Amino acid sequence: MRDLIEEIFNGLPVPFSFGQILVRRRECAGFVLLHRDDASLDLLETYRDAEGAIGIAKYDDAGNYRPLKTAPNLRHGWRLELAAVEELRRALDYFYPGRLAVFAAWKSGYLKTTALRETLDRQSGMYRVAAKISDPQINDLVTDFCRSDTGCLRTILWKRDRNRVIASTKLPNEKFDPVYDQGTASGPPGSATPATAAAAATVPLLCQEACNLLVAECRKVVKDEDV
Amino acid sequence: MSSNKGSALLIVAHGSTVNPDSSAPTLAHAAEIRRRKIFAGVECAFWKEEPSLRDAIFLFDPESLREVYVVPNFISEGYFTQTVIPRELELNGRITKRPNGQIWNYCEPVGSHLMMTELLLKRAHDVAPDVVPAEASLLIVAHGTDLNENSAVAAKREAEKIRAFGKYAAVLNVYMEEPPLVSDWRKLTESPNVVVVPFFISDGLHSYEDIPILLGIAGAAGVDRGRPGSPPPATAHGEIFRQNPYAIDGRKLFYAPSIGTDPGFADIIVEQANAAGKT
Ligand code: SF4
Repeated sequence: MRDLIEEIFNGLPVPFSFGQILVRRRECAGFVLLHRDDASLDLLETYRDAEGAIGIAKYDDAGNYRPLKTAPNLRHGWRLELAAVEELRRALDYFYPGRLAVFAAWKSGYLKTTALRETLDRQSGMYRVAAKISDPQINDLVTDFCRSDTGCLRTILWKRDRNRVIASTKLPNEKFDPVYDQGTASGPPGSATPATAAAAATVPLLCQEACNLLVAECRKVVKDEDV
Repeated sequence: MSSNKGSALLIVAHGSTVNPDSSAPTLAHAAEIRRRKIFAGVECAFWKEEPSLRDAIFLFDPESLREVYVVPNFISEGYFTQTVIPRELELNGRITKRPNGQIWNYCEPVGSHLMMTELLLKRAHDVAPDVVPAEASLLIVAHGTDLNENSAVAAKREAEKIRAFGKYAAVLNVYMEEPPLVSDWRKLTESPNVVVVPFFISDGLHSYEDIPILLGIAGAAGVDRGRPGSPPPATAHGEIFRQNPYAIDGRKLFYAPSIGTDPGFADIIVEQANAAGKT
Protein backbone atom coordinates (compact mmCIF):
# COMPACT_ATOMS: atom_id res chain seq x y z
CA MET A 1 0.00 0.00 0.00
CA ARG A 2 1.24 3.48 -0.84
CA ASP A 3 2.23 5.43 2.23
CA LEU A 4 2.69 9.17 1.78
CA ILE A 5 4.36 9.79 5.11
CA GLU A 6 6.83 6.96 4.58
CA GLU A 7 7.68 8.46 1.22
CA ILE A 8 8.46 11.72 2.95
CA PHE A 9 10.74 9.99 5.44
CA ASN A 10 12.49 8.11 2.65
CA GLY A 11 13.19 11.31 0.78
CA LEU A 12 14.53 13.17 3.81
CA PRO A 13 18.14 13.53 4.78
CA VAL A 14 18.73 12.75 8.47
CA PRO A 15 19.27 14.72 10.67
CA PHE A 16 16.22 16.84 10.03
CA SER A 17 14.18 19.19 12.16
CA PHE A 18 10.47 19.22 12.75
CA GLY A 19 9.33 22.21 14.76
CA GLN A 20 11.55 22.23 17.85
CA ILE A 21 12.58 18.61 17.40
CA LEU A 22 15.78 17.33 15.92
CA VAL A 23 15.68 13.82 14.45
CA ARG A 24 19.03 12.06 14.24
CA ARG A 25 19.97 8.58 13.14
CA ARG A 26 21.39 6.32 15.82
CA GLU A 27 24.71 4.63 15.24
CA CYS A 28 23.32 1.11 15.51
CA ALA A 29 19.81 1.47 14.11
CA GLY A 30 16.78 3.60 14.53
CA PHE A 31 16.46 7.24 15.52
CA VAL A 32 16.99 9.57 18.40
CA LEU A 33 14.82 12.63 18.92
CA LEU A 34 15.66 15.61 21.08
CA HIS A 35 14.89 19.27 21.55
CA ARG A 36 16.86 21.30 19.02
CA ASP A 37 18.32 23.46 21.79
CA ASP A 38 19.55 20.33 23.61
CA ALA A 39 21.44 19.01 20.61
CA SER A 40 24.83 19.11 22.31
CA LEU A 41 23.89 18.07 25.82
CA ASP A 42 24.46 14.59 27.23
CA LEU A 43 22.55 14.76 30.47
CA LEU A 44 19.16 14.08 29.02
CA GLU A 45 16.45 11.88 30.43
CA THR A 46 16.02 8.98 28.02
CA TYR A 47 12.69 7.62 26.83
CA ARG A 48 12.40 4.54 24.69
CA ASP A 49 8.94 4.28 23.23
CA ALA A 50 6.90 6.50 20.96
CA GLU A 51 4.19 6.95 23.60
CA GLY A 52 6.79 8.72 25.76
CA ALA A 53 6.23 11.67 23.43
CA ILE A 54 2.70 12.17 24.82
CA GLY A 55 4.04 13.02 28.26
CA ILE A 56 6.94 15.11 26.97
CA ALA A 57 4.65 17.20 24.77
CA LYS A 58 2.04 17.80 27.45
CA TYR A 59 3.79 20.35 29.69
CA ASP A 60 6.30 23.15 29.11
CA ASP A 61 9.51 23.68 31.08
CA ALA A 62 7.55 25.42 33.84
CA GLY A 63 5.09 22.55 34.12
CA ASN A 64 2.19 24.32 32.42
CA TYR A 65 -0.16 22.39 30.15
CA ARG A 66 0.49 23.11 26.45
CA PRO A 67 -2.89 23.60 24.75
CA LEU A 68 -1.17 24.31 21.42
CA LYS A 69 1.38 21.67 20.55
CA THR A 70 2.95 23.80 17.80
CA ALA A 71 3.70 26.63 20.24
CA PRO A 72 7.48 27.18 20.63
CA ASN A 73 7.50 25.96 24.24
CA LEU A 74 8.40 22.29 23.95
CA ARG A 75 10.13 21.24 27.12
CA HIS A 76 13.85 20.53 27.26
CA GLY A 77 15.97 17.85 28.86
CA TRP A 78 14.85 14.60 27.23
CA ARG A 79 15.88 12.28 24.44
CA LEU A 80 13.64 9.76 22.78
CA GLU A 81 15.20 6.67 21.24
CA LEU A 82 13.14 4.84 18.67
CA ALA A 83 13.87 1.58 16.91
CA ALA A 84 11.99 1.94 13.64
CA VAL A 85 10.43 4.37 11.23
CA GLU A 86 6.90 3.37 12.29
CA GLU A 87 7.65 4.49 15.84
CA LEU A 88 9.29 7.68 14.62
CA ARG A 89 6.13 8.50 12.78
CA ARG A 90 3.95 7.84 15.84
CA ALA A 91 6.19 9.89 18.10
CA LEU A 92 6.28 12.86 15.71
CA ASP A 93 2.51 12.65 15.51
CA TYR A 94 2.24 12.83 19.30
CA PHE A 95 4.57 15.85 19.35
CA TYR A 96 2.82 17.67 16.52
CA PRO A 97 -0.52 15.92 16.01
CA GLY A 98 -1.72 15.79 12.42
CA ARG A 99 1.14 17.87 11.03
CA LEU A 100 2.84 15.05 9.09
CA ALA A 101 -0.42 14.12 7.37
CA VAL A 102 -1.16 17.74 6.50
CA PHE A 103 2.35 18.10 5.08
CA ALA A 104 1.85 14.92 3.03
CA ALA A 105 -1.45 16.27 1.72
CA TRP A 106 0.24 19.54 0.80
CA LYS A 107 3.04 17.76 -1.04
CA SER A 108 0.52 15.66 -2.94
CA GLY A 109 -1.41 18.74 -3.90
CA TYR A 110 -4.70 17.92 -2.19
CA LEU A 111 -4.43 20.17 0.87
CA LYS A 112 -7.22 22.73 0.89
CA THR A 113 -6.78 25.97 2.78
CA THR A 114 -9.63 27.92 4.37
CA ALA A 115 -9.69 31.69 4.75
CA LEU A 116 -10.07 32.99 8.31
CA ARG A 117 -13.31 34.79 7.50
CA GLU A 118 -14.79 31.52 6.25
CA THR A 119 -13.75 29.75 9.44
CA LEU A 120 -15.28 32.51 11.55
CA ASP A 121 -18.51 32.66 9.53
CA ARG A 122 -19.00 28.93 10.01
CA GLN A 123 -18.96 29.09 13.82
CA SER A 124 -22.04 28.53 15.94
CA GLY A 125 -22.91 28.74 19.61
CA MET A 126 -20.58 30.81 21.74
CA TYR A 127 -18.10 31.31 18.87
CA ARG A 128 -20.60 32.83 16.44
CA VAL A 129 -19.81 36.34 17.69
CA ALA A 130 -16.14 35.95 16.69
CA ALA A 131 -17.04 36.83 13.07
CA LYS A 132 -17.63 40.43 14.16
CA ILE A 133 -13.89 41.05 14.47
CA SER A 134 -12.69 43.85 12.16
CA ASP A 135 -9.97 43.48 9.52
CA PRO A 136 -7.43 45.69 11.39
CA GLN A 137 -8.14 43.70 14.56
CA ILE A 138 -7.41 40.46 12.70
CA ASN A 139 -4.17 41.96 11.43
CA ASP A 140 -3.01 42.77 14.97
CA LEU A 141 -4.27 39.59 16.55
CA VAL A 142 -2.64 37.24 14.04
CA THR A 143 0.62 39.21 14.32
CA ASP A 144 0.58 38.72 18.04
CA PHE A 145 -0.87 35.26 18.39
CA CYS A 146 0.74 33.37 15.51
CA ARG A 147 4.26 34.84 15.52
CA SER A 148 6.88 32.12 15.41
CA ASP A 149 9.14 33.29 18.23
CA THR A 150 6.50 33.44 20.95
CA GLY A 151 3.21 32.17 19.52
CA CYS A 152 3.27 29.29 17.09
CA LEU A 153 5.75 27.57 14.81
CA ARG A 154 3.37 26.85 11.98
CA THR A 155 3.66 28.32 8.51
CA ILE A 156 0.42 30.11 7.71
CA LEU A 157 -1.11 29.02 4.41
CA TRP A 158 -4.58 30.52 4.86
CA LYS A 159 -5.63 34.01 3.83
CA ARG A 160 -7.71 36.52 5.68
CA ASP A 161 -10.70 36.37 3.36
CA ARG A 162 -12.01 35.41 -0.06
CA ASN A 163 -10.10 38.33 -1.62
CA ARG A 164 -6.94 36.47 -0.61
CA VAL A 165 -5.69 39.28 1.62
CA ILE A 166 -2.65 38.23 3.62
CA ALA A 167 -3.43 37.12 7.21
CA SER A 168 -1.11 39.69 8.75
CA THR A 169 0.82 42.49 7.10
CA LYS A 170 3.08 42.80 10.13
CA LEU A 171 4.50 39.28 10.18
CA PRO A 172 7.62 38.64 8.08
CA ASN A 173 7.10 37.06 4.66
CA GLU A 174 8.84 33.92 5.90
CA LYS A 175 5.87 33.19 8.14
CA PHE A 176 3.96 32.26 4.99
CA ASP A 177 6.77 30.37 3.29
CA PRO A 178 6.85 26.58 3.81
CA VAL A 179 10.51 26.45 2.81
CA TYR A 180 11.51 28.65 5.74
CA ASP A 181 12.43 26.98 9.04
CA GLN A 182 10.18 28.69 11.62
CA GLY A 183 12.25 27.12 14.39
CA THR A 184 15.04 29.57 13.61
CA ALA A 185 12.83 32.66 13.76
CA SER A 186 14.43 35.16 16.05
CA GLY A 187 12.69 37.27 18.61
CA PRO A 188 11.80 40.92 18.17
CA PRO A 189 14.69 43.25 17.31
CA GLY A 190 17.05 43.56 20.27
CA SER A 191 15.82 40.38 21.95
CA ALA A 192 18.46 38.45 23.87
CA THR A 193 17.36 34.98 22.79
CA PRO A 194 19.64 33.66 20.08
CA ALA A 195 17.98 31.94 17.17
CA THR A 196 18.13 28.15 17.21
CA ALA A 197 20.70 26.62 14.88
CA ALA A 198 19.31 25.54 11.54
CA ALA A 199 19.21 21.84 10.71
CA ALA A 200 20.18 20.41 7.34
CA ALA A 201 16.57 19.77 6.41
CA THR A 202 13.27 20.71 7.89
CA VAL A 203 9.69 19.53 7.66
CA PRO A 204 7.40 22.55 8.05
CA LEU A 205 4.44 22.58 10.41
CA LEU A 206 1.70 23.82 8.15
CA CYS A 207 -1.39 25.76 9.14
CA GLN A 208 -4.06 25.30 6.48
CA GLU A 209 -6.83 26.81 8.59
CA ALA A 210 -6.98 28.91 11.75
CA CYS A 211 -6.96 26.80 14.89
CA ASN A 212 -9.67 26.82 17.53
CA LEU A 213 -7.43 28.87 19.82
CA LEU A 214 -7.21 31.70 17.31
CA VAL A 215 -11.00 31.57 16.81
CA ALA A 216 -11.39 31.82 20.60
CA GLU A 217 -9.03 34.82 20.60
CA CYS A 218 -11.08 36.51 17.86
CA ARG A 219 -14.14 36.04 20.05
CA LYS A 220 -12.29 37.56 22.99
CA VAL A 221 -11.33 40.65 20.96
CA VAL A 222 -14.99 41.17 20.02
CA LYS A 223 -16.23 40.51 23.55
CA ASP A 224 -13.67 42.83 25.14
CA GLU A 225 -14.87 45.58 22.88
CA ASP A 226 -18.47 45.08 23.95
CA VAL A 227 -17.77 45.89 27.60
CA MET B 1 -17.23 -3.10 7.26
CA SER B 2 -16.53 -4.57 3.86
CA SER B 3 -12.83 -5.09 4.50
CA ASN B 4 -10.55 -3.52 7.03
CA LYS B 5 -7.74 -3.23 4.49
CA GLY B 6 -8.85 0.06 3.03
CA SER B 7 -10.78 1.22 6.09
CA ALA B 8 -9.69 3.74 8.65
CA LEU B 9 -11.11 4.76 12.00
CA LEU B 10 -11.38 8.34 13.22
CA ILE B 11 -12.21 8.79 16.90
CA VAL B 12 -13.54 12.28 17.56
CA ALA B 13 -13.50 13.79 21.04
CA HIS B 14 -13.90 17.17 22.67
CA GLY B 15 -10.42 17.70 24.12
CA SER B 16 -9.52 20.70 26.24
CA THR B 17 -7.29 23.75 26.29
CA VAL B 18 -7.01 23.60 30.08
CA ASN B 19 -7.39 19.97 31.21
CA PRO B 20 -4.27 17.90 30.45
CA ASP B 21 -6.17 14.63 31.03
CA SER B 22 -9.04 15.30 28.66
CA SER B 23 -7.64 13.60 25.58
CA ALA B 24 -5.71 10.85 27.39
CA PRO B 25 -8.45 8.17 27.32
CA THR B 26 -9.18 8.81 23.64
CA LEU B 27 -5.49 8.49 22.76
CA ALA B 28 -5.26 5.30 24.84
CA HIS B 29 -8.30 3.72 23.15
CA ALA B 30 -6.84 4.64 19.75
CA ALA B 31 -3.50 3.05 20.65
CA GLU B 32 -5.29 -0.13 21.78
CA ILE B 33 -7.37 -0.35 18.60
CA ARG B 34 -4.26 0.31 16.50
CA ARG B 35 -2.55 -2.57 18.30
CA ARG B 36 -5.38 -4.90 17.28
CA LYS B 37 -4.78 -4.09 13.58
CA ILE B 38 -8.51 -4.04 12.79
CA PHE B 39 -8.20 -0.90 10.66
CA ALA B 40 -5.60 0.17 8.15
CA GLY B 41 -5.39 3.48 10.00
CA VAL B 42 -6.55 4.78 13.37
CA GLU B 43 -6.53 8.50 14.12
CA CYS B 44 -8.03 10.87 16.68
CA ALA B 45 -9.30 14.41 16.20
CA PHE B 46 -10.45 16.97 18.74
CA TRP B 47 -12.59 20.08 18.88
CA LYS B 48 -10.21 21.79 21.28
CA GLU B 49 -6.91 20.02 20.66
CA GLU B 50 -4.74 18.87 17.81
CA PRO B 51 -5.26 17.35 15.36
CA SER B 52 -8.35 19.47 14.91
CA LEU B 53 -11.54 18.27 13.28
CA ARG B 54 -10.51 20.32 10.25
CA ASP B 55 -7.11 18.58 10.15
CA ALA B 56 -8.93 15.24 10.21
CA ILE B 57 -10.14 15.76 6.63
CA PHE B 58 -6.51 15.33 5.53
CA LEU B 59 -5.46 12.51 7.84
CA PHE B 60 -6.38 9.67 5.47
CA ASP B 61 -4.68 9.17 2.13
CA PRO B 62 -7.58 8.98 -0.36
CA GLU B 63 -5.71 6.61 -2.63
CA SER B 64 -5.05 3.88 -0.11
CA LEU B 65 -7.92 4.40 2.32
CA ARG B 66 -11.30 4.14 0.69
CA GLU B 67 -13.48 4.29 3.78
CA VAL B 68 -13.32 6.22 7.03
CA TYR B 69 -15.47 5.40 10.07
CA VAL B 70 -16.04 8.38 12.32
CA VAL B 71 -16.93 7.45 15.90
CA PRO B 72 -17.71 10.32 18.29
CA ASN B 73 -16.25 9.59 21.72
CA PHE B 74 -19.14 11.37 23.39
CA ILE B 75 -21.56 10.25 26.10
CA SER B 76 -24.64 11.27 24.16
CA GLU B 77 -26.05 12.79 21.02
CA GLY B 78 -26.11 16.57 21.30
CA TYR B 79 -24.76 19.82 19.94
CA PHE B 80 -21.33 18.36 19.17
CA THR B 81 -22.46 15.16 17.49
CA GLN B 82 -25.31 16.83 15.61
CA THR B 83 -23.87 20.26 14.72
CA VAL B 84 -20.15 20.71 15.31
CA ILE B 85 -18.69 17.41 14.12
CA PRO B 86 -20.68 17.14 10.84
CA ARG B 87 -20.00 20.78 10.04
CA GLU B 88 -16.25 20.67 10.74
CA LEU B 89 -15.76 17.32 8.97
CA GLU B 90 -18.03 18.38 6.10
CA LEU B 91 -20.31 15.39 6.52
CA ASN B 92 -23.78 15.34 5.10
CA GLY B 93 -25.63 12.59 6.88
CA ARG B 94 -24.58 9.07 7.82
CA ILE B 95 -22.64 8.46 4.61
CA THR B 96 -20.63 11.11 2.80
CA LYS B 97 -18.78 10.57 -0.44
CA ARG B 98 -15.91 12.99 -0.85
CA PRO B 99 -14.99 14.41 -4.27
CA ASN B 100 -11.89 12.18 -4.13
CA GLY B 101 -14.12 9.11 -3.79
CA GLN B 102 -13.35 8.44 -0.13
CA ILE B 103 -16.45 7.39 1.80
CA TRP B 104 -16.96 8.68 5.33
CA ASN B 105 -19.36 6.81 7.59
CA TYR B 106 -20.66 8.78 10.51
CA CYS B 107 -21.32 6.43 13.44
CA GLU B 108 -23.34 6.72 16.65
CA PRO B 109 -21.59 8.16 19.70
CA VAL B 110 -19.94 5.69 22.05
CA GLY B 111 -22.31 6.49 24.93
CA SER B 112 -25.34 5.37 22.94
CA HIS B 113 -24.16 1.78 22.53
CA LEU B 114 -26.02 -1.01 24.34
CA MET B 115 -22.72 -2.27 25.77
CA MET B 116 -22.48 0.91 27.86
CA THR B 117 -24.83 -0.57 30.46
CA GLU B 118 -22.59 -3.60 30.95
CA LEU B 119 -19.54 -1.38 31.17
CA LEU B 120 -21.11 0.75 33.91
CA LEU B 121 -21.91 -2.42 35.84
CA LYS B 122 -18.35 -3.65 35.38
CA ARG B 123 -16.95 -0.33 36.58
CA ALA B 124 -19.21 -0.42 39.64
CA HIS B 125 -18.00 -3.93 40.42
CA ASP B 126 -14.32 -3.02 39.83
CA VAL B 127 -14.42 -0.14 42.29
CA ALA B 128 -16.24 -2.13 44.98
CA PRO B 129 -15.45 -5.79 44.26
CA ASP B 130 -16.36 -7.08 47.73
CA VAL B 131 -19.64 -5.23 48.02
CA VAL B 132 -22.86 -7.21 47.63
CA PRO B 133 -24.93 -5.23 45.10
CA ALA B 134 -28.15 -5.94 47.03
CA GLU B 135 -26.64 -3.91 49.88
CA ALA B 136 -25.50 -1.05 47.69
CA SER B 137 -26.92 1.93 45.82
CA LEU B 138 -25.40 2.75 42.48
CA LEU B 139 -25.23 6.41 41.45
CA ILE B 140 -24.60 7.36 37.82
CA VAL B 141 -23.45 10.99 37.80
CA ALA B 142 -23.88 13.33 34.83
CA HIS B 143 -23.47 17.05 34.51
CA GLY B 144 -27.09 18.14 34.04
CA THR B 145 -28.26 21.56 32.78
CA ASP B 146 -25.70 21.19 30.04
CA LEU B 147 -27.26 22.91 27.09
CA ASN B 148 -24.92 21.24 24.65
CA GLU B 149 -25.39 17.65 25.66
CA ASN B 150 -28.13 15.23 26.50
CA SER B 151 -25.92 13.48 29.03
CA ALA B 152 -28.57 13.82 31.72
CA VAL B 153 -31.00 11.88 29.54
CA ALA B 154 -28.34 9.28 28.79
CA ALA B 155 -27.57 8.84 32.51
CA LYS B 156 -31.27 8.43 33.24
CA ARG B 157 -31.61 5.81 30.52
CA GLU B 158 -28.63 3.82 31.82
CA ALA B 159 -29.88 4.02 35.41
CA GLU B 160 -33.29 2.70 34.31
CA LYS B 161 -31.71 -0.19 32.46
CA ILE B 162 -29.50 -1.18 35.38
CA ARG B 163 -32.41 -0.81 37.78
CA ALA B 164 -34.39 -3.27 35.68
CA PHE B 165 -31.78 -5.97 36.39
CA GLY B 166 -32.82 -5.76 40.05
CA LYS B 167 -29.23 -6.34 41.18
CA TYR B 168 -28.59 -3.21 43.21
CA ALA B 169 -30.66 -2.07 46.15
CA ALA B 170 -31.17 1.19 44.26
CA VAL B 171 -29.90 2.74 41.04
CA LEU B 172 -30.08 6.50 40.64
CA ASN B 173 -29.14 9.03 38.01
CA VAL B 174 -27.86 12.13 39.78
CA TYR B 175 -26.59 15.46 38.51
CA MET B 176 -24.13 18.12 39.51
CA GLU B 177 -26.38 21.08 38.84
CA GLU B 178 -29.99 19.95 38.82
CA PRO B 179 -32.08 17.59 40.93
CA PRO B 180 -31.68 14.84 41.81
CA LEU B 181 -28.44 16.37 43.06
CA VAL B 182 -25.35 14.29 43.69
CA SER B 183 -24.82 16.35 46.85
CA ASP B 184 -28.08 14.91 48.22
CA TRP B 185 -26.80 11.34 48.08
CA ARG B 186 -27.25 10.84 51.82
CA LYS B 187 -30.95 11.61 51.53
CA LEU B 188 -31.42 9.83 48.22
CA THR B 189 -29.94 6.50 49.32
CA GLU B 190 -30.45 4.21 52.32
CA SER B 191 -28.12 1.28 51.74
CA PRO B 192 -24.93 0.74 53.77
CA ASN B 193 -22.82 1.00 50.58
CA VAL B 194 -22.92 3.63 47.88
CA VAL B 195 -21.07 3.23 44.58
CA VAL B 196 -20.61 6.35 42.46
CA VAL B 197 -19.66 6.22 38.76
CA PRO B 198 -19.17 9.50 36.83
CA PHE B 199 -20.72 9.21 33.37
CA PHE B 200 -18.02 11.27 31.65
CA ILE B 201 -15.65 10.68 28.73
CA SER B 202 -12.54 11.64 30.69
CA ASP B 203 -11.38 12.62 34.12
CA GLY B 204 -10.94 16.30 34.80
CA LEU B 205 -12.06 19.02 37.11
CA HIS B 206 -15.56 17.49 37.45
CA SER B 207 -14.42 14.04 38.49
CA TYR B 208 -11.25 15.08 40.33
CA GLU B 209 -12.65 17.96 42.31
CA ASP B 210 -16.26 19.07 41.76
CA ILE B 211 -18.01 15.75 42.37
CA PRO B 212 -15.77 14.83 45.35
CA ILE B 213 -16.69 18.17 46.91
CA LEU B 214 -20.39 17.55 46.25
CA LEU B 215 -20.08 14.06 47.72
CA GLY B 216 -18.21 15.42 50.72
CA ILE B 217 -15.16 13.21 50.20
CA ALA B 218 -12.68 15.86 49.02
CA GLY B 219 -11.88 16.78 52.64
CA ALA B 220 -11.77 13.14 53.73
CA ALA B 221 -9.13 12.48 51.11
CA GLY B 222 -7.06 15.36 52.46
CA VAL B 223 -7.42 17.28 49.27
CA ASP B 224 -8.98 20.54 50.39
CA ARG B 225 -7.87 23.34 48.19
CA GLY B 226 -6.73 26.79 49.10
CA ARG B 227 -4.80 26.29 52.31
CA PRO B 228 -1.72 28.48 52.00
CA GLY B 229 1.39 26.45 51.53
CA SER B 230 -0.52 23.19 51.19
CA PRO B 231 0.63 20.74 48.53
CA PRO B 232 -1.37 20.57 45.31
CA PRO B 233 -4.64 18.71 45.73
CA ALA B 234 -4.22 14.96 45.53
CA THR B 235 -7.36 14.88 43.44
CA ALA B 236 -5.41 16.40 40.59
CA HIS B 237 -3.46 13.18 40.33
CA GLY B 238 -6.39 10.81 40.62
CA GLU B 239 -5.54 10.14 44.26
CA ILE B 240 -9.22 10.51 45.07
CA PHE B 241 -9.88 7.15 43.37
CA ARG B 242 -7.25 5.35 45.40
CA GLN B 243 -8.68 6.02 48.84
CA ASN B 244 -11.85 3.95 48.58
CA PRO B 245 -13.95 3.31 50.52
CA TYR B 246 -14.82 6.58 52.22
CA ALA B 247 -16.51 6.05 55.56
CA ILE B 248 -19.24 8.67 55.96
CA ASP B 249 -22.09 8.63 58.49
CA GLY B 250 -21.58 4.94 59.13
CA ARG B 251 -21.77 4.13 55.44
CA LYS B 252 -19.18 3.22 52.85
CA LEU B 253 -18.84 5.25 49.69
CA PHE B 254 -16.89 3.99 46.67
CA TYR B 255 -15.91 6.54 44.03
CA ALA B 256 -14.91 5.37 40.53
CA PRO B 257 -12.97 7.21 37.80
CA SER B 258 -14.97 8.47 34.81
CA ILE B 259 -16.48 5.67 32.74
CA GLY B 260 -14.62 6.87 29.62
CA THR B 261 -11.26 5.86 31.10
CA ASP B 262 -12.32 2.20 31.12
CA PRO B 263 -10.32 0.15 28.57
CA GLY B 264 -13.66 -1.39 27.55
CA PHE B 265 -14.38 1.82 25.65
CA ALA B 266 -12.05 0.59 22.89
CA ASP B 267 -14.40 -2.37 22.25
CA ILE B 268 -17.41 -0.08 22.07
CA ILE B 269 -15.67 2.29 19.63
CA VAL B 270 -14.98 -0.68 17.34
CA GLU B 271 -18.56 -1.90 17.77
CA GLN B 272 -19.97 1.48 16.75
CA ALA B 273 -17.86 1.39 13.58
CA ASN B 274 -19.02 -2.17 12.90
CA ALA B 275 -22.64 -1.19 13.40
CA ALA B 276 -22.33 1.60 10.83
CA GLY B 277 -20.63 -0.77 8.40
CA LYS B 278 -23.53 -3.20 8.53
CA THR B 279 -26.25 -0.71 7.75
S1 SF4 C 1 -3.91 29.88 13.62
FE1 SF4 C 1 -2.31 28.48 12.89
S2 SF4 C 1 -0.45 29.68 13.02
FE2 SF4 C 1 -1.95 30.75 14.28
S3 SF4 C 1 -1.69 29.92 16.34
FE3 SF4 C 1 -3.28 28.70 15.38
S4 SF4 C 1 -2.17 26.96 14.52
FE4 SF4 C 1 -0.65 28.54 14.92
